[in-house]
Amino acid sequence: MDLFLQTLLNGLLIGGVIATFTIAFQLTFGVLHVIDFAVGGWVVLGGYLGYYVTALLGLDGFAAIPLAFVLFGALGYLIGPVLYNVRNSRTARPELMALALTFGLFTLLRGGMLTAWGFNTRNVTTFLSGESLAVGPVIVPLIRVAAAVFAAAIAGGLFLFLYRTRYGLAIRATAENCHNAALMGVNIRRLSANVYGLYAGITAMAGVLMGAIYSVNPEVGLRYTLFAFFVAVLAGLGSVGGAVAAALMLGVIEAFVSTYVGSSYSLLAIFATLFVVLLVSPKGILRRGL
Amino acid sequence: MAAQPMKSRWPGLLLLAVIAVALVALPWTVNNYWLRVATGALMWAGLACSWNMLGGYAGYINFGHSAFFGLGAYVTAFLMNDPFGLPFLVTIPAGMVVTAVFAVVIGAPTLRLRGAYFAIATWAFAEVLIQFASAMDFTGGIGGIGLPPFLNERFFYFAMFGAAALTYLVAWALFEHSRFGLKVKALRDHEPAAEAMGINTALVKLQTFVLSAVTASVFGAIFAYWVTFINPKSVFGGDITDQMVVMVLLGGLGTLWGPAIGGVALFVVNRLIWMHWGDTAFYIAVLGAAIVLVVLFLPNGIAGLFVRRKANALEKAAGKLVGGGGER
Repeated sequence: MDLFLQTLLNGLLIGGVIATFTIAFQLTFGVLHVIDFAVGGWVVLGGYLGYYVTALLGLDGFAAIPLAFVLFGALGYLIGPVLYNVRNSRTARPELMALALTFGLFTLLRGGMLTAWGFNTRNVTTFLSGESLAVGPVIVPLIRVAAAVFAAAIAGGLFLFLYRTRYGLAIRATAENCHNAALMGVNIRRLSANVYGLYAGITAMAGVLMGAIYSVNPEVGLRYTLFAFFVAVLAGLGSVGGAVAAALMLGVIEAFVSTYVGSSYSLLAIFATLFVVLLVSPKGILRRGL
Repeated sequence: MAAQPMKSRWPGLLLLAVIAVALVALPWTVNNYWLRVATGALMWAGLACSWNMLGGYAGYINFGHSAFFGLGAYVTAFLMNDPFGLPFLVTIPAGMVVTAVFAVVIGAPTLRLRGAYFAIATWAFAEVLIQFASAMDFTGGIGGIGLPPFLNERFFYFAMFGAAALTYLVAWALFEHSRFGLKVKALRDHEPAAEAMGINTALVKLQTFVLSAVTASVFGAIFAYWVTFINPKSVFGGDITDQMVVMVLLGGLGTLWGPAIGGVALFVVNRLIWMHWGDTAFYIAVLGAAIVLVVLFLPNGIAGLFVRRKANALEKAAGKLVGGGGER
């Protein structure tokens, strides 16, 4: 029973961190209509930024979080319009070309990181690393709690932004119907750049947290791309509300399979679940809409 | 294309004949190393064509095509080994049948959805197979599985040559010169319109997907016998799919000869990088950069450079009518 509670807690805490970047991923799909394969690449790059901030500047890992947002937000702001142009280009198959573009970007990031940093894993150290708190029979690793709290704050801020501001309304309107939103005076092109920047920044921040909890190497990007896909399929592509529930579910599934079956089976279990959901209920089992 | 005047056909046929003669004569003119390179180039040209059937002609991106290549390889390896010990030529159709069954199971539900879901499903399928083949005993786990060695480079050269020629012949006959090809292109350009014309788009997509998967499995089977040893990463790995995607994009999506041009060009680059720097991660970055650059600056691929400007303008006009983003 203790192990059960411990596993559940670990899963929920990780699921919270996964939720942050999958919300942003869903939002990006809603606005740009592009599945971003590069999502795992941004997570890993965030983790490496965290590593270099601690290793080279001697700062705490948490200091990398705002830096990650600014840096990758800016980078995303530059990439967003490119993606938008390809998605809305006059070639015969813009959806396919945009998909290929993000796939190429992901491959480029992975290959570039492997070339630059090799296969070694890196850790992000923070003042909470290794600290834990015993609550009854359950041991609570503080770094995971801090990460989950941070993730909840980011997600909460994002929801407030989406549902309580005029610009958030414009984003939701664009996701619902970009033609009508454009007719209402929304500059879709600029909004796409902003949304992609927001998404890249949030994803990189989540990457710093992931780097502090686990470790990063260029090959784990694949894993985070898979996580984003899993959540997207479970929640329904573009559904922001369902993404939180699906991410928590993913964290729990992963934790339980790792603990009770073996960690080498966790990816297989996630893939198998993803696959069954795609076959049985392809539009997502949590479909709620934006 | 079929309605083009006769006079423009002869140079093309002549070029094709010259290439065919050169390819047949090749094993007697180069050393074993370059023969292996040529065998690989033929395999990749064929695989690129196989990916292009669905990706280029039907407009559905398959990010897990390595799954079918790997299935062909594993079925051959499995059946040629001890408990069965079947001859090589019998294992190829067996692999094709297994692959076709898997393709129907995956394709039937997901091809009804928008392309994005299909891309995720195929990608997930290939990754499942890697994980599965790594975890199971009968596949040899991560260690992989060996095949009875057959060291005859010329045999494998001609096997790949035959398979590639057959693949291109099938693609030429089905996609360029038949009603089926017109249906496939129609659904690619505008699916609801194609449906309204009475085309059973779900069926046509599934047929194309199965055809594309089955051809990939043939190359997988020959590849396994050729290299005599396979493991999950070497036949299911995502890098295999990456290469096919780049080759087709580089050569020209939805064209007959584009994949051959892209496949051979990229494979030669691959070998050159391998010769100069060894098998490095650098090549992955090159692949990624190639995809990005081609999408941005050469969306019609190398083959697109040779298409007459008038046709290009027509396509652009068609894109204006049916294309445009944000279909939701």
